[in-house]
Amino acid sequence: MIRNSDTNGTVYHVQGGPMGTLLTIKDFCLWYGRAQALFDVGMGVEKGLVTALIGPSGCGKSTLLRGINRMNDLIDGLRTSGEILLDGTDIYGPDVDVIGLRKVMGMVFQKPNPFPMSIADNVCYPLKVDGVRDKKTLRDTLENALKASALWDEVKDRLQDNALGLSGGQQQRLCIARAIAGDPEVLLMDEPCSALDPVATAKIEDLIDELRGRYTIVIVTHNMQQAARVSDNTAFMYLGKLIEYGETSVIFTNPKVEKTMEYVTGRFG
Amino acid sequence: MTDSGKRGPKKTRTWVLIADRLADRSITVGGVLVIGAVLGMMVFLVHEVLPLFRGGSVESSHVYQLQGKQEPAINLAMDEYKTIAVSVSREGQVATWHVETGFPLEKRSFDLKDKTITAFAKTLDSSNIAVGFSDGTVRFGRIEFRNDVLPEDQAPAGLKKINELYETDGSAVYSRVPGRQIRKISFKLELDDEIQVSESGSPIKVMDYRLTMFGERPKRILLTMDGSGTATMSMTETKMNMFTRKVVTKTSKSSLPPIPDSSDVAFALVTEMADQAYFADKKGIIYRYNTRDFEHPFLAETVETMPQGTNLTVLGFLMGEASLVVGGSDGSLSIYFLLAREGAKTLDGASLVRTRKFEPHNSAVTGFSPGQRGKTFATCDSKGEIWLRNGTSEETLVKISPPEKSSWQALVLAPRMNGILAFSSNGSSGFWDLSVPHPEISLHTLFGKVWYEGYSEPGYTWQSSGATDAFEPKLSLVPLIFGTLKATMYSLMFAIPIALLGAIYTSEFLPARVRGKIKPVMEVMASIPSVVLGFVAGLVLAPVVENWISAVLLVFLALPLLLVFSAYLWQLMPASTAVRLEGLPKFVLMFVLVGFGFYLTYLGGPSFEKFFFNGNFQSWLNGEGSPAAFLFLMTVPLAAAAVSWSFSRFWGYRAYQYIRKMEMPYSALLDLFRWLCIAGVTALLSYVIAVSLAGVGFDPRGSIVGTYVQRNTLVVGFAMGFAVIPLIYTLAEDALNSVPDHLRAASLGCGATPWQTAIWIILPTALSGVFSAVMIGMGRAVGETMIVVMSAGNTPLLDLNIFNGLRALSANIAVELPEAPKDGTLYRVLFLTGLVLFGMTFVINTVAELVRLRFRKRAMQL
Ligand SMILES: Nc1ncnc2c1ncn2[C@@H]1O[C@H](COP(=O)(O)OP(=O)(O)OP(=O)(O)O)[C@@H](O)[C@H]1O
Ligand SMILES: [Mg+2]
Repeated sequence: MIRNSDTNGTVYHVQGGPMGTLLTIKDFCLWYGRAQALFDVGMGVEKGLVTALIGPSGCGKSTLLRGINRMNDLIDGLRTSGEILLDGTDIYGPDVDVIGLRKVMGMVFQKPNPFPMSIADNVCYPLKVDGVRDKKTLRDTLENALKASALWDEVKDRLQDNALGLSGGQQQRLCIARAIAGDPEVLLMDEPCSALDPVATAKIEDLIDELRGRYTIVIVTHNMQQAARVSDNTAFMYLGKLIEYGETSVIFTNPKVEKTMEYVTGRFG
Repeated sequence: MTDSGKRGPKKTRTWVLIADRLADRSITVGGVLVIGAVLGMMVFLVHEVLPLFRGGSVESSHVYQLQGKQEPAINLAMDEYKTIAVSVSREGQVATWHVETGFPLEKRSFDLKDKTITAFAKTLDSSNIAVGFSDGTVRFGRIEFRNDVLPEDQAPAGLKKINELYETDGSAVYSRVPGRQIRKISFKLELDDEIQVSESGSPIKVMDYRLTMFGERPKRILLTMDGSGTATMSMTETKMNMFTRKVVTKTSKSSLPPIPDSSDVAFALVTEMADQAYFADKKGIIYRYNTRDFEHPFLAETVETMPQGTNLTVLGFLMGEASLVVGGSDGSLSIYFLLAREGAKTLDGASLVRTRKFEPHNSAVTGFSPGQRGKTFATCDSKGEIWLRNGTSEETLVKISPPEKSSWQALVLAPRMNGILAFSSNGSSGFWDLSVPHPEISLHTLFGKVWYEGYSEPGYTWQSSGATDAFEPKLSLVPLIFGTLKATMYSLMFAIPIALLGAIYTSEFLPARVRGKIKPVMEVMASIPSVVLGFVAGLVLAPVVENWISAVLLVFLALPLLLVFSAYLWQLMPASTAVRLEGLPKFVLMFVLVGFGFYLTYLGGPSFEKFFFNGNFQSWLNGEGSPAAFLFLMTVPLAAAAVSWSFSRFWGYRAYQYIRKMEMPYSALLDLFRWLCIAGVTALLSYVIAVSLAGVGFDPRGSIVGTYVQRNTLVVGFAMGFAVIPLIYTLAEDALNSVPDHLRAASLGCGATPWQTAIWIILPTALSGVFSAVMIGMGRAVGETMIVVMSAGNTPLLDLNIFNGLRALSANIAVELPEAPKDGTLYRVLFLTGLVLFGMTFVINTVAELVRLRFRKRAMQL
């Protein structure tokens, strides 16, 4: 077991998904103004698998996640170094079309955030953004996305109702449907269940399980059981550093770093 | 803590409770006071305005039997203070009595040398009379009332009491006035020597008389018709020789062409200008002579005013001689104007037009008496009803039905229109003290179309004061309301796009750091006193805009084009350079670009004018050249919207996918090309629309554009825009900013651009807030005063033309209140103007507030 004091670099466990690596993060550092929030993060996200980011509050999970689709760009005084490679191209490169990049990466937030519009309009928003006007495409996408997010049966009779009328869990699934509708490759979820009750959480977890294979999912969670249940790989972060990264079973049962051990067993955090 | 040893676990200290309750109470009291103040203001305004609509009332009525045998009166007169009544009989007997009580005063008489009066005429102010006799002679005379105020101790002794207020010495009437003084009302009768008017010596049948004074020199105009049907007009002028200072009286006569059948002629009227003479017979046929050329008068027009079988019973002028009052034996009453009419079938191109109709009497109209200070007049009918009416409003102000139904033989309205005296041949007389403070006001004159004297058609007019007593006040609020709305609309058209785009830009595109600096700057802009804005707009901006009008117009087209074009050029830049220039350099560049745009339009203005407006915009506005070019400019925005919408609807997706697949500089080039295509198609489309509209004969000149006036609505729009923009901007920015960030994140996370996010998510979510910002801006624009006073020209017109001036409600109050005597009609109408303004801003602000509450509720849900 590696003691806390000698955590200089990340401890990796043997990796290797069936479909290879989709995202490669290399020496990624990030500063909010003068404050550095991420320190030399390096990891590969396996295609088609669910990767969980865990760690105590404020350790930089959301920062890393938002770094992946460059949602951080809006923040004043933000600086990065290192690379995040998507299919081999650096998404922080000068010629990258950020808007296009975000289309490849659907995002689901901690708090359900449907637009104050109808359910159908919410789901079809990514297509509207793309300029798709074809009625049939829209209808098909709507149905598929709602079915994929296990919401279809509950809302199929009130697609034109305002989305704010849905329950919290439904709203979150609607947000997942919206993310899926844009036909992304990656789904980034930042604590998608933290505002939901256990039943709704279970539904979302089932959903994530179902989406496995079709999308590459990166999920931030504070819930150890959830991470253990839904993810294939787990990354443990602490104070802006990636401490340990590997298959979920290994991280949870046999971590090499003491800090990880303490965290997954609930001794701090 | 000091009060007792043991404390409850959660006991609020009493003074906290007291303070809380105190605060609660004082806030409640304050709020109630504010509401009370607003309500009080409203009540006050309403209170000031209400008397306008009260019409008139009879303050007191006095009907009495006069002593002694009374002869029928050919003339009835009353002084300004409603004290002495004078009636003249055919034999020259003059009966006088005290108006209120009927107390008889000294009997007098004219010395007629045993002749009887066959015709009588008086000037409009009743003090000058002319009497005609059966031998064809005429004598001029005067019944002049005198009003002297004497110190108390100069009152003659031995006065007889009439009642508590009045005393008499037999002929004059005395009354006490404040300040230990006495008012003495007396009158004087005079009759000049006779003049032979009818050469044949046949009796004078009808006549009319006018007297005008040119300084000390009177000019008399006399129109007569004698028994043989000979109509004569004579003019007597008194002139002073400049050198000898000798006064010469010169009389010239002119005989009018005869009337086919003169046996029935019963009325004669002549104007003070001596340019028109009228005769009318009992059947209602009016013969109008044009006597402008005194030597060669001609019969210009013959008008039938009465239906078959109905007699003309009343004919006379209202003050100013523009309104000819015509009453009939069927009780009908109307007013005719003499108007220049295109295609009139008369010899002088003018014709009598019936413009006003009054509520008819139930029986024949028998008497008529005009007021001397306005358009109010009294009429009576054969059943003894006396009605007070107003010529402008066509309203019947007071109806008097005396208890005993006497048939009034003569009627006179007090000179100040505040009393009516009637006289019947059986010796009874009636006097009614009236209060008619605002005779010309009715809802119709305030808000409806009125056919004013001298106007060729009914219209909405505001003109509150004129040079003479004969002036008819025109108090339509419609042009003012229109002016306010016009100023508001045009300034909002200018302000809303700028304010909203600015708000979107700062809230969605600027980093928080810069936003924090820009907003206060805009708010400082709001604190510029509006009088400064109005001053600058009226004295500096207006001449500049007038000189550079074509460049100003060009800016609206060129600046947006230039900005969008450079945005596309910006895309062409290598990404690394673009990133490096992000922030301050880009910001500075934008300002430079705007400056450059202004410079370009400054340079291009003249050639733009040459190309689009025939070389001179102002003469183009006056109707020279074709409207096509301007229509082109107007349709450009619409066409651009249509073209870009259909482009994105039909090819947007494909083009987008295509552009995305391409390499960097080429994709930007293609995007630029796409934009140029859209611009080209837009130009083509608006060209086609403009040419075909112009082909159909559509011309915007005469409606929204027209003759250029220096202080015009465009200038007002700029200045008021300047006042309104900061307001709309801050409120809208707040509304946009208060849209929760998680929606922004959601939209951006879906791959939307910041612009798409702003338009599709942020703006709709904040819509009610933005709407209420616009409404509050509108409320400000409606109530804004100094800017419109100083830069709008203050012409109360109903004209959409953006290059013409206007007069707003608020400006009207500011401009006219200093000239409005307290509690007068104008004064109260101005209060009504204020009330209308208050109502408008109240409605607008209430709507804004309601929408804002809704918005806040919705924002809470998110
Ligand atoms: N917009 C920002 N500006 C400045 N600092 C920020 C910003 N967002 C996050 N930080 C800082 O960066 C660090 C990492 O924050 P982050 O939100 O990534 O943590 P987290 O792991 O997601 O925490 P949690 O589990 O509570 O969501 C924290 O110290 C935080 O204060
Ligand atoms: Mg977080």
